[in-house]
Amino acid sequence: MSHATERRNPGNDVAPADPGNGAAGMEWILKRETRSSRAVAAVIAAVLVIVLCGYALLETAVRAIGQPPWIVDPEAAAERIVALPAGVPPLLLGVLGAVLVMGGLYFFLNAVLPGRRARHLLRDRRAAVVVDDEVIASALARRARLAANVTQEQVMVIVSRSHVIVNVRPTSGVPLHAEAVLAAVQDELREMGPSPVPDVRIIVAPGGVIGA
Amino acid sequence: MNNTPRILNRVLIGILGITLIALGTLLVLLASVPAVGTWWRSWSAGAWSNWQDLFGGTHFPGRQESWLWLVLTVLLLAVMGAMVAWVAQQGKGRASLLVAEEDPGEVPGNVRVGGGVAEQALRAALADRPDLAGATVATYELRGAPALRIRVQPRQGVAPHTLAAEVSALVEALDAVVGKRTPVLIHISSGARSRFGRAERVR
Repeated sequence: MSHATERRNPGNDVAPADPGNGAAGMEWILKRETRSSRAVAAVIAAVLVIVLCGYALLETAVRAIGQPPWIVDPEAAAERIVALPAGVPPLLLGVLGAVLVMGGLYFFLNAVLPGRRARHLLRDRRAAVVVDDEVIASALARRARLAANVTQEQVMVIVSRSHVIVNVRPTSGVPLHAEAVLAAVQDELREMGPSPVPDVRIIVAPGGVIGA
Repeated sequence: MNNTPRILNRVLIGILGITLIALGTLLVLLASVPAVGTWWRSWSAGAWSNWQDLFGGTHFPGRQESWLWLVLTVLLLAVMGAMVAWVAQQGKGRASLLVAEEDPGEVPGNVRVGGGVAEQALRAALADRPDLAGATVATYELRGAPALRIRVQPRQGVAPHTLAAEVSALVEALDAVVGKRTPVLIHISSGARSRFGRAERVR
């Protein structure tokens, strides 16, 4: 098999140094993987529009063939909308409007905000790698726990895009060196090499845990 | 890395959001500001009488009903069909072939390698690892070319960079077998299984 490959296109196929058409594609993949696709909001929006259109369709079709309306006749509905502040209690109207604004804000913000996912990229020579921040947090927590010599429950790590916050509750009576924990976590982060690189903060709780 | 139409999603969601915000603000203003109520009644009465004139002028010959109702029905059906098509676009892009190329050898014909080869080989290689709670491999079509997506769920405390290096070594072995480099995405994810499963203590 390797014989055939060499004869066809030497150095362009399995050579690890060659990014091929993969490099551009990978940039594209990574850009898409770190952002939300808004599929959920899209499906909700589509279902909303379908339900509204379905109801309007029912009433319109009923009207078109001259049958009595199901809930409200389109013309009667339009007349009530025209006379709007009258006929509906203002409180109900205001609440309805507020609910509509809330729903609209959800969709609008989903469309406008960048929609970054809680993920970091790792460098790799072959593949594009994305890591959920939760995985990074649990790896850092393990390292911090070993450096601080405490149990799993005494360490909590929060990873965001540019910050890592390590909360440690020391064991009562056992001194805890925050610098050692910091060095260990930074060492692990350096080995990991996530991009963007977050900076580390250690918070040692003032109270200790008894009997851990 | 699926082919969800992201820009279309943004645009359509944005349009719906702006519409809802405008409607809601109008309702709130109608409920709270009396001046808006008088303006609304004069404006909407004019618009409504225009519509009524339109409906009155479009009767079926010899019948009471307007054919605009039928037009409205067709229009609503078209909107619903467009919405269904939009939903069907979400998350599509799975492919079945990993390689489809003309064979340069003496025998005429094409070479096709199914995506199942890579999927099953990688899944089998990842299945027995004690530090993984789960692994899935899927082939996607990326701008006309196939690409692999490997999703691994490590247990708690597994270092992601060593895991990524090991998985990418597996991918390189696969490259040597298949004879072609496909773009690969390794997604190291957390899920319910890794969150509530036991922590990885021995490594």
